[in-house]
Amino acid sequence: MSERICHYPGTSLKEQDFSQGKVLQTWWYPKADYAWDAGVAVGKFLAGLKAGRILAIQCPQCRRVLVPPRMVCEHCFVPTSHWVELPGTGVVKTFSICTVRWDMERLETPIIPAVIALDGAAPGAGFMHFLNEVEPKPEVVRIGMRVEAVWRPAEERTAAITDILYFRPIKEGQP
Amino acid sequence: MSLTERLHFFHQAIAWKGDIALQSRYSMGVAGERFFREIKDNGRLMATRCPNCGYTYLPARLYCERCFAELTEWVEVPPRGKVYAFTVVHFDLEEKPLEKPRVLALVEFEGSDGGLIHDLEGVAPDRVEIGMPVEVVFKQERNGSILDIAGFQPL
Repeated sequence: MSERICHYPGTSLKEQDFSQGKVLQTWWYPKADYAWDAGVAVGKFLAGLKAGRILAIQCPQCRRVLVPPRMVCEHCFVPTSHWVELPGTGVVKTFSICTVRWDMERLETPIIPAVIALDGAAPGAGFMHFLNEVEPKPEVVRIGMRVEAVWRPAEERTAAITDILYFRPIKEGQP
Repeated sequence: MSLTERLHFFHQAIAWKGDIALQSRYSMGVAGERFFREIKDNGRLMATRCPNCGYTYLPARLYCERCFAELTEWVEVPPRGKVYAFTVVHFDLEEKPLEKPRVLALVEFEGSDGGLIHDLEGVAPDRVEIGMPVEVVFKQERNGSILDIAGFQPL
């Protein structure tokens, strides 16, 4: 702020001025539709999801298996090359129990976003999704818990990440 | 090598579609507040006149953008003017053809500079002329926005 200006003359408004109708207001709802091009690697990954397969790609240099796949290894700066299919099982790396939605609505049933290290993928190649069917209550989720993907019925899939409904804990005695 | 991979069919291209929930609330400012209150409550157009350069602002402004003088002199402008410019619109914002073309006109009012842009109704699009005398049609029910004006119609 310039030395010569010690305050901005202005008219400040409070929320009450609007709610009590003291000032006129015009609401506007911009139409902010967008389409994001998935590209070759993620496009193939999403098409794979529709077919019930989790496709990953391997870097020919460092041998890391990247999921979701990308065209270039960000460690080696070389094009990735070899497509592999991963089983829909893995380990919880980190998670959060959310009782509030993104738009600050309170949730009756908490949702549990988690980063999952899929079996066969490089360590650190986190796969973000929800956990569900966590019995008896969400608080039993633990880092290191083994989980498996639960798929949407094939005819309802839309080539989106939500073709996997969620991950659920693998019960004792199962592989 | 995947960098040489190509999509060979159109249906292979996948786009993720979404929409961003946005809303904005606009308040008209000190001069705009009075300008729209006058339209809402009294159905009249008010302008502010610059004491320094004599320019008359419609819609009303608080400061003269030519000489930075504060504008405190309010004058009523009769709701009759002349078409300064117009365009005939055949498509909506989503590029869908309109059933009936809209005529949008910039109208200048006597005794003021500036003007208002709004629908010009009651005249066939091919009959509109620059300089045509028109008047403002106020809505019966008004809530304080430019839409309190239904549009212009020929005199």
